Amino acid sequence: MHLLFHPTSHANPIALFGLTLLLGLIGGELAARSYFLPRITGYIIVGFLVGPSVFNMVTPSLLAGARIFIEISLGLILFDLGRHLDFTWLRHDRGIMLMSIAESSLTFILALSILFAFQIPLLYAALAASIIATTSPAVVMMVADDLNSKGPVTRRTLILTSLNNLFGLVTFTILLPFLRTTPPHILIESIVYRLIGSILLGIAIFLLVLGIAYLIGKRKENQFILFIGSVMFAIGGAVMLNLSSMLTLFTLGVAARNFNYKYLLTEVDFGWLAKLFFILLFVITGAHIQLNGLWQATGIVLLILCARMLAKISGIWLFAKYSRLTNQQAWALGSALTPMAGLAIGMSNIIFDLAPNLGYQLMTIITTIVAILTIIGPIATQLAFIKSEEALLQNS
Amino acid sequence: MMNVLPAFKENPAFTIGVELELQLVNLQDFNLAMEAKDFLRRLSETVHPGEIKPEITLAMIELNSSVHASYQSLMTELRAMKSIVAEEAARSHIGICGGGAHPFQKWKEQRIFPIERFTHISEQYGYLAKQFTVFGQHIHVACHQGDDALYLCHALARYLPQFIALSAASPFHQGVDTSFDCSRLTVISAFPLSGTPPWVLTWKEFSDYYDKMMTLGIIKSMKDFYWDIRPKPEFGTIELRICDTPLTVEKAADLAAYAQMLVHWLLDTRPVLSREIYLTYLFNRFNASRYGFDAIFIDPLRRKHIPLLDDILHTCQQLEPYAKQLDCKIVLEHIKKAANRRENDAAWLRKQHTLFHSLADTVRSQTERWSRE
Repeated sequence: MHLLFHPTSHANPIALFGLTLLLGLIGGELAARSYFLPRITGYIIVGFLVGPSVFNMVTPSLLAGARIFIEISLGLILFDLGRHLDFTWLRHDRGIMLMSIAESSLTFILALSILFAFQIPLLYAALAASIIATTSPAVVMMVADDLNSKGPVTRRTLILTSLNNLFGLVTFTILLPFLRTTPPHILIESIVYRLIGSILLGIAIFLLVLGIAYLIGKRKENQFILFIGSVMFAIGGAVMLNLSSMLTLFTLGVAARNFNYKYLLTEVDFGWLAKLFFILLFVITGAHIQLNGLWQATGIVLLILCARMLAKISGIWLFAKYSRLTNQQAWALGSALTPMAGLAIGMSNIIFDLAPNLGYQLMTIITTIVAILTIIGPIATQLAFIKSEEALLQNS
Repeated sequence: MMNVLPAFKENPAFTIGVELELQLVNLQDFNLAMEAKDFLRRLSETVHPGEIKPEITLAMIELNSSVHASYQSLMTELRAMKSIVAEEAARSHIGICGGGAHPFQKWKEQRIFPIERFTHISEQYGYLAKQFTVFGQHIHVACHQGDDALYLCHALARYLPQFIALSAASPFHQGVDTSFDCSRLTVISAFPLSGTPPWVLTWKEFSDYYDKMMTLGIIKSMKDFYWDIRPKPEFGTIELRICDTPLTVEKAADLAAYAQMLVHWLLDTRPVLSREIYLTYLFNRFNASRYGFDAIFIDPLRRKHIPLLDDILHTCQQLEPYAKQLDCKIVLEHIKKAANRRENDAAWLRKQHTLFHSLADTVRSQTERWSRE
């Protein structure tokens, strides 16, 4: 037996993946039994407990081992998010675009102003504000799926999340190259390359997907593999070409929704697979949670949190009538947009890598905001869907 | 008040009206969309003819036309209603379509529309209530008095297979090709008060029957009878409930006019009623649902097997003077053309499925056809 069993000081990433899933599953079910906490909250709490902040079972080096799973999860989410951006709907209901512009830009401007007022340089403040403007697609999708929420508020929450992520992604992609001190012409080339390049890569992969779909037909099983394969290919392709994989995948999703003129693609639900990745993603998000910023930068964090909620709700309110929403629907929609993406941690990591001195301060603020919104966001979204009577409750 | 059978309202004879149960569809996956509550609120803020109401589950709405003397005015109103509904649906980004059943919805995923009547039905019938997410066209034709209504209920029973074949639009159900042209009627047959009215021929006798059913606690109102055809005393009409909702309002108006001509002819010629008609009623009903225009109609009175197609063409011939009188000769042309080509909506839906290899795309083409024509 001793020849077969070799205890090592390093945990195997696959074992970690399995353990994460199992613990997440238990945490999620315990949360669901509380009747007011979403399953996501359970996954996140488990992540927080096993993460560096508490028991330190899942260390940053171990997290790095699970990177591929995280990237695929985020890729699928962004692709799915892109598929929620339906141009036909935007054309028929101008109110949606107005609400989106209002809530995204109000959030951006308020967050930018507060950060700037707290001595954060403008460029960094703008980068952070572009992240803060986004709603977590993973949380919105997972809560909607978990509650089997269907109806006008749920659908509008998804398209508004899609739009504010587009706003955040584009703003972030444009601003990021400014962090590097390079001559202006190289800077512009860099912006154009990353922005246009990512979009073009997304479209190119979409055309490839159409070609393959033409060959393989519409069997759901085939199209499922087609989408998963193309998402993975898009992630790798974007990394190889130094493009934004997030924008590439989002573009792929948008194209799949809006340019499928010959109906070669069919609607595929990632179902069980998505759930698997979602649990992993939320547990890992929980492991990343750091609340030290709450003590180090209490004022700014709380101020941004309040401003963000205010901006989102008032942005929706301003133009809710154009979309003929009821007051109750407008409230629910504003609240449902509360969760902030774990994705933001990834984006702030990029700032940190490029400018460690200022990046640390910003990262502390952002990760703390993410931490708080990760905890209260899913609850707000769940409440919004339940109050709108779109969540499936017993006897419905 | 509601415990007594309402008096049969006197009406100008042969006026018509229709109720159309429509599907609300999600435009991303083309499954049914739980949007009726919000959609009806939006529609209530618009000015439209007729009435638009909720139905048993949240993915259904019902259009009710006003009362019409002519096919033309019914058609004009239905087209106006369709335009308003289609416009509002586009703003809400949901699809609307006809068809007797959604091809791949799962009944267990449906949600009951939260009003007292539907909640009560759900409590009473359990899972049948959600399975009731099927979509029919009800045709009202006015007659002078209750006795006429009862005569018509039985006299029209012989012609209901024709309506089944002409309106059939539910070949797919719960994700499979059922091999039926009309799968919807099978769902309705599961209800204990489905079928046909009892063999009573005067309003007095019917009133007694109604009182007995009421006293026994089986019914609370006429609405509890899910018969294929029933009298509707509040409106002074008979109500044919056998048709699938067609894919277009034009077809719905054609079916209503066909019923109007038949009622006119039946009341003029008064063919003798025989209880024997019910000997083969269920079998003919099944045949028409299963085979559509290719069904065989078994005539129990003449002891003959007749192709249903021939029976339709023969009836059209009999109705020609009435088509002239009611200014709807075009309707008979449409019906003869559809029958000769064996083209009902079920055939069209199967063609779409063959073309796209996808039930979702079949529903998409249904929504496009509803908005377009």
